[in-house]
Amino acid sequence: MVTSSECINKTDEQIVILTLKNQDYYLCLMKRYETKLLNYILKISNISREDAEDILQEVFIKAYQNLNDFDLNFKFSNWIYSIAHNTTISAFRKKKVRPQTVSWEDKDLNNILESTLDAENTSLHKLTYKQILKIINQLPLKYKDVLILKFMEGKDYQEISDILHKPMGTIATLINRAKKSLKQGLEKEDIKF
Amino acid sequence: MKNISGKVFKKIKDNNIIPKPRWYFITKNYFIWSIFGISIILGSFAFGMVLFIIKQLDWDIYHYIGDSFLKTVFVNLPYLWLIFLILFTGVTYYNFIHTKRGYRFKFISILLISLIISIILGTGLYFNGFSERLENVFSEKIPYYNRLVYSCEEQWMKPERGLLAGTIIEIGFPENNFILMDLDNNRWKIEASKVIWKGKITPATGLKIKLIGKLINDNNFEAMEIRPWQQGQGRFMMGGNR
Repeated sequence: MVTSSECINKTDEQIVILTLKNQDYYLCLMKRYETKLLNYILKISNISREDAEDILQEVFIKAYQNLNDFDLNFKFSNWIYSIAHNTTISAFRKKKVRPQTVSWEDKDLNNILESTLDAENTSLHKLTYKQILKIINQLPLKYKDVLILKFMEGKDYQEISDILHKPMGTIATLINRAKKSLKQGLEKEDIKF
Repeated sequence: MKNISGKVFKKIKDNNIIPKPRWYFITKNYFIWSIFGISIILGSFAFGMVLFIIKQLDWDIYHYIGDSFLKTVFVNLPYLWLIFLILFTGVTYYNFIHTKRGYRFKFISILLISLIISIILGTGLYFNGFSERLENVFSEKIPYYNRLVYSCEEQWMKPERGLLAGTIIEIGFPENNFILMDLDNNRWKIEASKVIWKGKITPATGLKIKLIGKLINDNNFEAMEIRPWQQGQGRFMMGGNR
C-alpha cells in the first residue's frame, strides 16, 4: 500500500505515471482533489452534499478509467476539473440531482464582488448575504462557472479554457459578461456598497 | 466529509476497474484526425466542382433570357456542390474541435482555415483536370445528376428567345447545315452558314452543343454562334469531342 508520504514531493503528473504502473498511487491523487472538487461541484450545481459526493465518486472513477487519455503536456488539475465539470452538467441534465441552496464562504463572495465592482472594501456584513447568493445562483451556468473558476478556484484564462474546453477569447468574454450580469443583478436588488 | 477517496478506491479494487488501454485512445485520436483529413479532401473535391461548373456556365446569356444578371447568377449557382462544400466544412470543424487541442481555436478561425485549405486544394484539382474528370464520371454514372447540378439546362431550351441545345445527329444537308436533336428529343434543321464556332470544336455527329441564333419557324433554327456543351470540351476527356 502506498502511503501519503510517498506522494508528498511528487507532482500530479508524476503520480499519474506511477498510478498507471501501480493503482495504489491513485489514492494520493484522489485525496489531493477530494475537497477542491467537492466544493467546485457544490458551487456550480447548487445540489445537496450527498448528491455532490455521488458525482465526485463518478468523477474519480471516470478519471481513473481514462487515465491513459491524459496528456502529460497538460495540467492534471485542469483535466480532472474538466471531468468534474462535464459529469456535473451531465448529472444535472439527467436530473439525477436535486437543486438546493448551498452556502458559500464569505471570502469567495468577496473575491467575486471585489472584481465585479472594482471595489476593495466590499465587506459582507454590509451586504445582504442571502440576496447576493441568490443573484449569483440565478446567473446562467456559463457565467457562474467562469466566475467560480476565476475568482474562487483562482484559475487563469488558459486553465479555464482547458477546463471548459472553450477558446481563451471566449473565456474572457464570458467573464466580462458574467461580471456585468452580476453588477446589474446587484443594482436591480438595490444592493449598494 | 466522508472518506470519498477511500470509498472510490475500494470500489476500483472490488470491481476490478482498470484504465482503458492506451491504444484505445490512440485509435480514437487517429480516427478523428482521419475523418478531419477526409472531410478536408471531400471539401476540396466539392470546391473544385463548384469552380468547374461556374466556368461551364454561360454568364453572358442573361440578356437572351430577359433576366437580370443577378437572377442568372442565383439560378445558375451549383447549389448541390455548394451544399456539399458547406457540409464537409462542417464535418471538418466538428472533428477538429474534438481533437485534443481543437477547443482552443475559435469557431470562425477553424471554419476559415478549413475553407481556405479546401479552396486551395480544390483550385489545384480544377486546374489539373481532376474536377472535369469527376464531373464526367458523375454525369455518366449518376442518374439525374445533370438535372440536379445544371439548373441552367432549361435556359437553353428557349428557341423563341434564340437559345437551343442538343446533339448533332446529321451533318451537311445542305452544306454547313445540320440536324440537331434537342434536349427534349425534337429534331431541328439548323441553318449554320453564318455561324461562329466557339471553344475549339468542329462539327461532328454526336457532338453536344449550345446554339445562339433565331427561330425561323417550327423546326428550323438559324445559328449565329455555337458553343460546346461543356467549356473546354475534349481537353481532358478521353473520348475527345462528344
